[in-house]
Amino acid sequence: MTERRIGVFICHCGGNISDYVDVERVRQAVEKEPDVIVSRTVMFACSDASQQEMIDAIKDEKLNGLVVASCSPKLHLYTFRAAAERAGMNQYQYIQVNLREQDSWAHRDDMEKATQKGIRLVRAGIAKARASEALSTFRVETKPSVLVIGAGIAGLRASLALSDMGLSVFLIERESEVGGWTRKWGETFLRDKKGYEYVEKLEKDIKGRENITLFTNAELKEQAGAVGNFDIKVQVKGGDAISLNVGAIVVATGFDSYKPSEGEFGFGSPGVITLPDFKQIVDSSPEGKIEVNGRRVKDIAYIYCVGSRQGDEVENPNTYCSRYCCSATVHTAGLVQRKDERINQFHLFRDMRTYGKAELIYEQAAKHGSVFLRFQDAPEVRSEGEKIVVTVKDELSGGDPFEVAVDLVVLVTGMVPRENSSLVGNLKIPLGKDGFFNEIHPKLRPVETVMNGIFIVGVSQGPKNIAESVASALAGVAKSAALLMKGYVELEPFVAVVNNDKCTWCGACMEACPYSAIRKTVAGSKEVAEVVPALCKGGGACLPECPEDAIDLRGYTDEQIRSMITAMAKEVA
Amino acid sequence: MAERIDPNLHRELKTFGAGDLDICYSCGTCTAICPLSDENSSFPRHVIHMAQVGLKERLQKSIEPWMCYYCGDCSDSCPREANPAETMMAARRYLTASYDWTGISKKLYLSGAAEVAAVVLVGVIIGLLFLFLHGPVVTDRVELNTFAPVKWIELGDLIMAAILSFFLLSNALRMMYWFIGKDKDLHVPLSAYILEAKTMLVNFFTQKRWRGCSEDHTRWLKHLLLVSGYLTMLTLVLILLRWFQTDKIYPIYHPQRLLGYYATIVLLYFTVDFMIGRRKKKERIHEFSHASDWMFLVLLFLTALTGIMVNIFRISGLPLATYIIYVIHLMIAVPMLVVEVPFGKWAHLFYRPFALYLVAVKDRAKAMEKARSKKKAVAAA
Repeated sequence: MTERRIGVFICHCGGNISDYVDVERVRQAVEKEPDVIVSRTVMFACSDASQQEMIDAIKDEKLNGLVVASCSPKLHLYTFRAAAERAGMNQYQYIQVNLREQDSWAHRDDMEKATQKGIRLVRAGIAKARASEALSTFRVETKPSVLVIGAGIAGLRASLALSDMGLSVFLIERESEVGGWTRKWGETFLRDKKGYEYVEKLEKDIKGRENITLFTNAELKEQAGAVGNFDIKVQVKGGDAISLNVGAIVVATGFDSYKPSEGEFGFGSPGVITLPDFKQIVDSSPEGKIEVNGRRVKDIAYIYCVGSRQGDEVENPNTYCSRYCCSATVHTAGLVQRKDERINQFHLFRDMRTYGKAELIYEQAAKHGSVFLRFQDAPEVRSEGEKIVVTVKDELSGGDPFEVAVDLVVLVTGMVPRENSSLVGNLKIPLGKDGFFNEIHPKLRPVETVMNGIFIVGVSQGPKNIAESVASALAGVAKSAALLMKGYVELEPFVAVVNNDKCTWCGACMEACPYSAIRKTVAGSKEVAEVVPALCKGGGACLPECPEDAIDLRGYTDEQIRSMITAMAKEVA
Repeated sequence: MAERIDPNLHRELKTFGAGDLDICYSCGTCTAICPLSDENSSFPRHVIHMAQVGLKERLQKSIEPWMCYYCGDCSDSCPREANPAETMMAARRYLTASYDWTGISKKLYLSGAAEVAAVVLVGVIIGLLFLFLHGPVVTDRVELNTFAPVKWIELGDLIMAAILSFFLLSNALRMMYWFIGKDKDLHVPLSAYILEAKTMLVNFFTQKRWRGCSEDHTRWLKHLLLVSGYLTMLTLVLILLRWFQTDKIYPIYHPQRLLGYYATIVLLYFTVDFMIGRRKKKERIHEFSHASDWMFLVLLFLTALTGIMVNIFRISGLPLATYIIYVIHLMIAVPMLVVEVPFGKWAHLFYRPFALYLVAVKDRAKAMEKARSKKKAVAAA
């Protein structure tokens, strides 16, 4: 083993650290640690000058290990890795110690103990650096093709955009025709363009593309492989399974409309229908009147937030807002008013969220006689002869109950996750508490999942309107293209490795891996476990399962962790 | 029991001249800016909300429209330009029509043609009465009391006053019943009605609440003067008719003539002033004028004009001209009273102070109840 030469830089963070931790004492306590060649304190480690100081030290002292004791690695891990790389050192031999979030900020009341803790933390970092290996990213070749699951508005639009970039697209749709929910709609907000016309146009475009293959009545049956190289089996109804090989997967499976339970706001009795059903009736109604079940509608009550923003009154409540419904309802009210201006429309709502440009359609609805009543407690629905009577406690009248007798109650139902458990099982991408697919970061990585190369777009990720779904779909396209256009992906080296000498192939590691990254293989004359690096997330679930201690995790080896614990346990003088 | 919404109320109110109440989003700026609304009454917003939602029963029970004197500040500051002040005005017309159990008021408000027809009809009846029943026509000198004997005119006066009072008071009783009688939780002792009588009188004669509207009291003063002229004239022709309608010509400083001239000048000046205001639409409050607003002003002006002409012709010794203009005078004055007093804009003269009186009565009753229960509690302790 080569001689270790380690540099330690302890950051003041302009006082954020040094006000509560005596950084000079920490430096003095660690400068004599074995292999420590350089130890300094710096005012701001992340400043250009300090980074240059580190680079110079690495070069001058021929360092092969670097420890910066500063803030959370979430903030500056990549900053200092890059600095190490610029100095010609292996970036994976850089170790960050979090002296701010885990020490100075947490122990402002006791500088002595905070300083002692700081010493232990930095010692552990040094120990980890001493046991670090020079690692490198590894490359995976990618296939220039994408599987798009779901041919609703998001899937259709994503397919076209992927095709525009020269990628081959396999678009699969469970139903017999494409278009999903959007195909059902006539006029849509904000511009009154018809939903089915959007779909017809996209469908025509898609059929003209040579690099898009559309399968309807088709479902994903199996998924194996990893980013850049997924093996897919698609089952077409009444046909053979089709095998495909793709570099990325775009999930655009959309949503189900919330189905109220029997009796929920009178659901199930005649004259109580959901917004999606009512919208289709309005779309197909002639000018001059609207009829439901053969009866002319004169008065309508809309009850908002059905199946959205639920509270503890139901089991497994949908606590989220479905986003599209307020805008869709006031837009529908506008269509109703244009068909028959004599119809009285009462909107019983909790909060009016016609956000963004949809505010204008709320304004239009209000101008044309729609009455808006805000409630806190859910309205009650009962029938009374030919009419349905809705009782609402009007918030603006101090919660006094009023009754409105109507011919039609429209339940403004929200969006719920699609029922497709087999797909969820196949893709292994996590669901959020709300049942929609979970992204990595809601703001910065909104379409990426923990599974490299699998992207979630449209409402599969969470409630959206058409415009938002399409924007999300195109984000998925951009991320897929960024992955595939280069021809390869570079992955971090923190993966599990199997020691073939020790391994006896019992299969326990394979069972433990949630990402199916371990498979059986033959090495020489015996069966051993093999980790597929492209699939491995470095989660470490396999390590404790191995009875032979034959698996180690790069970057977090047993040796490193043990030495860190030892260093941390050492008494502070 | 939950109140049933009347989905057509907002349309109905629009026919009474309401502003664009659909567009209101209940922000409450109108109420915040209103110098007259207080913690017990949150108009205009409350009234607009009732109108918008269709709370008919509540609106009919509400006294709030009468507590507004239309300064127009709310309409000036409304972010939705929904013109709440005009909706308040429409609510007063709507209430006047609602109080009127005969349904005549509603017909007259909703149709300018019906109002004109009613005035013409009553006018023609008066004309016909004179055509067939007038006394001897003396042509060599003015003898009005021979042509139209004062005791007969006085009898007519009293009959008319009795009929009109019956309609007006029965309508006002409905207002009282809706505001106080329907409030089942409240018992109002007779003493409360008696003790608050002064509220009625003060507000009837001074409209002092109006002074709370703004720093500038010009409109209040003008209106006060107009009312003083009107009441003077009403007293002269109703109570003091025998003293007022004489063939003897008194000297110019005689109170009979002085009072008559005062009332006439005030009536002519201010009706013309108000008509010019409505015509020019310079101020917010005159931006919209309902047919009923014009009708009252025009009739009042014509009544005063023909009245003074009777006097001029009489003094000038023109017998025939005097008799003819006298008949015309009554053909205008009587329909004005018959149509406007119980069924039209005139009614506000009574309804406004009466509404304030009822509010005071209710407040007093509540205070009395509170004091009683406190006493009981003390006694029990």
